[in-house]
Amino acid sequence: MSRPHRQGAAAHVFLIPWWLGLVLVTAVPMLASLYLAFTDYNILSTPEFNGLANFERMFQDGYFWAAVRVTLVYVAISIPLQLGFALLLALILDRGLRGLAFYRSAFYLPSLLGTSVAVAILWRQIFGDDGLVDRALSVFGLELGSWLQNPSLSLSTLIVLNVWTFGSPMVIFLAGLRQIPEELYEAAKVDGAGVVRQFTRVTIPLLTPIIFFNLILQTIGAFQTFTQAHVVSGGTGGPANSTLFYTLYIYQQGFTNFDMGYASALAWVLMAAIGLVTAVHFVLSKYWVFYGDD
Amino acid sequence: MSGLDRRGFLKLAAAGALGAGLTACGAGDGSDSGGGTSLRYAWWGNNIRQQNYTKALKEFAAKNPGVQVEPEFADYAAFQERMTTQMAARDVADIFWIASPQVLTYHKSKIYRRLDDIPTLNLADYSKQDLESFKIGGELNTMPFGVFVPVIRYNETFAEEDAAELPPADADWDAWAAFLVDYAKDNPNKRIGMPYEADADLPFESWLRQRGEQLWTQDGKAGFTADSLAAWFDWWDRLQKAGAVMSLSEQEGIGPDWAVVGKKVLAKVGNSNHLIDDARMFPDHTFRLRGMPVAKDAQAGHAFLYYPRMAIYQGIDDEKVEAAGKLVGYNTNDPAMIATVGLTMGAPVNPKVFQQALDSATGDAKETLTVVQAGREAERRPRFEAPPGTNTWRTAMGRAAEEIALGRLRTTDGARRLLEEIGAGITRAA
Repeated sequence: MSRPHRQGAAAHVFLIPWWLGLVLVTAVPMLASLYLAFTDYNILSTPEFNGLANFERMFQDGYFWAAVRVTLVYVAISIPLQLGFALLLALILDRGLRGLAFYRSAFYLPSLLGTSVAVAILWRQIFGDDGLVDRALSVFGLELGSWLQNPSLSLSTLIVLNVWTFGSPMVIFLAGLRQIPEELYEAAKVDGAGVVRQFTRVTIPLLTPIIFFNLILQTIGAFQTFTQAHVVSGGTGGPANSTLFYTLYIYQQGFTNFDMGYASALAWVLMAAIGLVTAVHFVLSKYWVFYGDD
Repeated sequence: MSGLDRRGFLKLAAAGALGAGLTACGAGDGSDSGGGTSLRYAWWGNNIRQQNYTKALKEFAAKNPGVQVEPEFADYAAFQERMTTQMAARDVADIFWIASPQVLTYHKSKIYRRLDDIPTLNLADYSKQDLESFKIGGELNTMPFGVFVPVIRYNETFAEEDAAELPPADADWDAWAAFLVDYAKDNPNKRIGMPYEADADLPFESWLRQRGEQLWTQDGKAGFTADSLAAWFDWWDRLQKAGAVMSLSEQEGIGPDWAVVGKKVLAKVGNSNHLIDDARMFPDHTFRLRGMPVAKDAQAGHAFLYYPRMAIYQGIDDEKVEAAGKLVGYNTNDPAMIATVGLTMGAPVNPKVFQQALDSATGDAKETLTVVQAGREAERRPRFEAPPGTNTWRTAMGRAAEEIALGRLRTTDGARRLLEEIGAGITRAA
């Protein structure tokens, strides 16, 4: 066997674990769930094909629509806030701050902890009855009680939690800001552009590929929000379904109600929705993302 | 590739795969290397229960050389989720507890092994009538290992501090409601009557049975009307509007944490066995139990006993059955087990062990055994387990109760919706 062939064979051997992982842990379960989406399957008995019944059921399912509403509101509000906050911090850190490495690490920390159970429990302490926020507001005569038990406020606490995990997009923005040539700012200054004009005419256009990248990643992540909602609501999605995220509802149907056929159908609808939203983003990106060679 | 050529690498990979394969073959056959028997035992609860049962299982293993017990513990919700996935994988623990909404669901899935043919499980202490009442589908395939009843539990220390005179023992629901409203309005320590627990299942069942209805029928349907359920929600709604029970904000949601609410309330509804672990959180306080309020026109035979059950897995290896029988017997018939785990899962089912426990009990244990004794002596109509498809009815009831408490749902609408959800679940499972 020639040397290139030997090297190719060795590479394939090294790839075996990855292939096994892809096939056994991802591809096969996905295909199985696609099949189960068209069945009545309660885990404990044999799946029975039921055509489109699971998908038709969604239209009559009030909890499904509650979960859709909660998830869309969450995505629509938390992503712009999170990206805006991340960009603001990145701009501040890009100004040659002393101790940049420390601040970068400190601001990134919530991204590592934000989806952890510990932080979700901490959130209960902060926004719970007689918690930090409740006590602070009571100084001003506002007695709102537990935000987490108030259907009008509970989702906002999870939005705040998501915005707080701005570290990951911030680091990416920071890297993007470092790639913008200094000469462009100097040229803009020579042309009489002030700070705001430099930001809107140089920084933002050249940062659009990074904004687009962050937007796609964070949107997909937000559609899949689960841990925070599960811990903060105790797995119920309450109060009054106000934190019933779509993935939490899938989990409830699959592992609490044992309705794995319906849960699989819900999961495929989510996948289709994420694919659609991502595709729309890509189509729209032609009108606002600037790649420099355009 | 330096230091390791292709042939060497492939040999190494093959050796690793062989090792992994041999390890896998050696695991999980239920026998340890010394030729003994290893039993998996699955149960749920809180930390206190976990510690007590782990200790008791070790004591059992010490008394039975050659038998090891592998504990599989989880909290209540996680336990049920794990059971489901284990059942799907045909890998259920040899001995497992059964959550109340799952008794008939698991039976339908044929995971119970019959128990009356196991020579090591001694059933001699039980009457024929008792054994008959334990049967599911005409077969003794699950074993109750505790008895409890619905109760009102109150903090006697608080009552004395607040000079609160409780309603008489035969007080009805209205008398209790009036007392709780008065107490919450006027007690020196600004305590509240009870937590909001309109989703409490055993107290609700007591309410239904007093009205001549039941939770489940023998033929696997909901045994109650929307009117009775709405009246139950109304009782709680009135208390909440009067400030006699906690708001959801104060108690951090439906299904309150006793550690949080226990210091703020005089009483609560619930299961008699919960006194055992809950009282330990407030060691300076004395708690007492009362039977549930009884309506003036309560139907005869409304009292009932609830039995938590355990079972041996249908797929257990034959050579492990006798050891499993011994362990089930240890749970149900041996006072040594009760001495270690206490009455956390209720009073002993075995009549001899029950009497023995009652004779020597003091404090909370005495309190628990006394209310169960009253239940055992009372006239009781039959009670039926939750049918397949209703495993989440308590979650659905919690949701309805929550929305009513938040003013987002009328009690009649909540009752109608819950019955529809229960009916849909039963239909799907049929």
